[in-house]
Amino acid sequence: MAKSDLESRTAWMGARDGGAEVRQSNLTEALRDYGIYVVLALLVIGFSIVAPGFASVTNFILILLQVSVMGILSIGMLFVILSRGIDLSVGSILAIAGIFSGLIARQDLTVANAALAFGLPILIGLFCGLFNGSLIAWFRLPPLIVTLGTMYAFRGFIVWYHVNPIYQLQSWYRVLGQEKIGPVPIPVIILLAVTALASLVLNRTRFGRYVYAIGGNEDAARASGINVKLVKLGVYAISGFYCGLAGLVFTSRLGAAQSISGMGFELVAIASVVVGGASLFGGRGSVGSTLVGALIMQVVQSGLVMLDVPSPIQQTTLGFIIIVAVGVDMYVQNRRSGGTLAGSIRDFLFGQ
Amino acid sequence: MAQIFKRFVGTVAVRGVDLELAGGDIHALVGENGAGKSTLMRVLAGGYADYSGDIFIDGALVRVGTPRRARELGIAMVHQELSLVPELTVAENMFLGREAPSRIPGLIDRRIVENRAGAVLEEIEADVSPRQRVGSLSLAKQQLVEIAKGISMNSRVLILDEPTSSLTKREIDELFRVVRTTKEKGVAVVYISHKLPEIFALSDRVTVMRDGQKLSSRPVADWSEGDLVREMVGKSLTEFFPRGQRSSEQTPVLEVRSLSQVPHFAAVSFSVHRGEVVGIYGLVGSGRTRLAKAVFGLSGADSGEIRVNGEVRTIGAPADGIEAGIAFVPEDRRVLGLVPVLDVGKNLTLARLKALSGRAFIDGSREHQLIRKNVRDLNIRTASIRTQVSALSGGNQQKVVLGKWLSTEPSLLILDEPTRGIDVGAKAEIRQKIDALAAHGMAILLISSELPEIMGMSDRILVMRNGRIVAEFARADFTEEAIGTAAIAGRH
Repeated sequence: MAKSDLESRTAWMGARDGGAEVRQSNLTEALRDYGIYVVLALLVIGFSIVAPGFASVTNFILILLQVSVMGILSIGMLFVILSRGIDLSVGSILAIAGIFSGLIARQDLTVANAALAFGLPILIGLFCGLFNGSLIAWFRLPPLIVTLGTMYAFRGFIVWYHVNPIYQLQSWYRVLGQEKIGPVPIPVIILLAVTALASLVLNRTRFGRYVYAIGGNEDAARASGINVKLVKLGVYAISGFYCGLAGLVFTSRLGAAQSISGMGFELVAIASVVVGGASLFGGRGSVGSTLVGALIMQVVQSGLVMLDVPSPIQQTTLGFIIIVAVGVDMYVQNRRSGGTLAGSIRDFLFGQ
Repeated sequence: MAQIFKRFVGTVAVRGVDLELAGGDIHALVGENGAGKSTLMRVLAGGYADYSGDIFIDGALVRVGTPRRARELGIAMVHQELSLVPELTVAENMFLGREAPSRIPGLIDRRIVENRAGAVLEEIEADVSPRQRVGSLSLAKQQLVEIAKGISMNSRVLILDEPTSSLTKREIDELFRVVRTTKEKGVAVVYISHKLPEIFALSDRVTVMRDGQKLSSRPVADWSEGDLVREMVGKSLTEFFPRGQRSSEQTPVLEVRSLSQVPHFAAVSFSVHRGEVVGIYGLVGSGRTRLAKAVFGLSGADSGEIRVNGEVRTIGAPADGIEAGIAFVPEDRRVLGLVPVLDVGKNLTLARLKALSGRAFIDGSREHQLIRKNVRDLNIRTASIRTQVSALSGGNQQKVVLGKWLSTEPSLLILDEPTRGIDVGAKAEIRQKIDALAAHGMAILLISSELPEIMGMSDRILVMRNGRIVAEFARADFTEEAIGTAAIAGRH
């Protein structure tokens, strides 16, 4: 008697819970996952209407080419941000990788030179990332402080080591950044390849799942038997690896290496990740959306250039786009967890 | 206070309580953990905007929705976690937000505030200087500062929430002296505690709460220690404890020998057998959770031996515990149990990914099967396995944590407060599951503050007090009074 009463009560609760959740899931969840794609589509359509010449295959390919370096950096940054970290040293690592790559790329084509010019920047990036990662994982220093420090330290080192720009890089080296396969520039192919690779790692491997788990709740991750330190080390190593690759593509595209390259790139990369809907509090974000985030930034910039908007005003516009994109995302998130518009605005203004 | 209700998602913490507080009285509010004492008092102190019921002060109906409003009405609460700013001085803390303006506009006059703070501290005979930095004071002194702060606002009601839980004997004596001085000023003092000696030493009136309800309220002279224990821990009639066929095999799954972790517990020895539910009962701070964490690997033990299935194991990290076949369902699912931003499925398999993947790649179809199995077996109510786990009700979240750990196919399952803060239906389901697991031969270590639950579920009960196992009861010898007394007696 008592038991059947209990059962009917739990059954009723179940029906109620389930009903509420089903209603909530469809539209909002789709909006959360794909809202950012809609924003990109609207921007492309909008600029196509107001800016003559925007809607052309050539221009779209150009935009992809322009986004390639920042796209690679952003995807590396995504790993770090997913783990609830941050990497401010990406621009400096890019410069170190670029200079060492450039030093070799001045020389004649031999197998050894080619291997070094293309391989060394990536190894250097990886090494710098491991350096960041070990300080953060084993010495438990805050990522913001460590990478702020190495941002200056790496930059100082490379400016001291080779202050003069390296021009006239050999043509064999410039192939990577300046040639096309069919209609598609090689940097775009590289970007798409690393995007696919990152997506595979984050969605299909144990390591990728651990990155999300650590960012979402580090204590729960540790209690689940995850080696948190090793995963953190891996995350910064990956970011460093992507920086090295970005340095290679950047130098090859430019045909020159400079020790002051990549200054300020860290903030653009962070902005791309955040505009792509990732949470700075970790655990939430995807590779596809990050690429879209980087594209949104680039599309706006290219579109404004075509409309002859002065460069300072472009910056202002980009700044507001970051705020609006993140604000809209927080609103959608808040609605999902049953909050109100007022609540989201409050969270947005005063932080969560 | 009349007919106070406070609901949380999935549970009602306070249901229909009436309470009267008189000026110049020390009113003790007692009950087990989760009885609703603190919640009720937080309502009074303006911690919740969404309570129902009426609060009257001097016969006038008031609405206390915010801490600020409560302060204006003269209600001050000293929380278990103190809310002082460590970098500021005692005086600055006491008059935070009420600084005295200096003659130069925009600046504040430190001296006026320091004098006033000094006067209040002197009045309650607290041995604290107003110019000391709060961070340099002991916890006990900081508590006195909080009390002085309450008094400096001319408070009519002062609420102390378990103020002695981390104080030494001498500090407690000083606190008591200050509380008595406060009372003599005509303030109504509410003293939340579950330590009987203190209650009898200090209070004028004792009110017992259980399951969010007020049971009885009498002058302290009308209570005996035995009455009070019985009243606090008594069985609630609405609870139902399943009990299937349990085999009494004598194969030990877990054997712990003189395990110590300074200063939390010392020389703890016990064993858990196949198909047996062993309960650990004790007050908060008795070392039960620490012990469980050390067995699982969340914190290392200093000395002692742990054997799992007859093998000596070195357990220094959760990965070692999992490897040894131990699973741990923690007491706060949001802190150690779940990754709230991830979906139900990913939470369910998080501790099992090694077995679900080759060198690197997760086998998606095997993972999906495991998730489905868990959702079905534990009756997890979720719109889809892709739903973010934080969107689930408390009971269903708890089922996800349980499922996550059952997925590791453990031979020993440690459950720390497995039914805390969830609704009645989910409680019953989780208890049924625990019973079924034991019937299938799993060894279970159950920690609970709810005496009816631990008595209903366990085959044996170990009682912990001050970091030691002080008593062991076989099922035939379970009585609420004996177990409750063993956990509380002589504690100070």
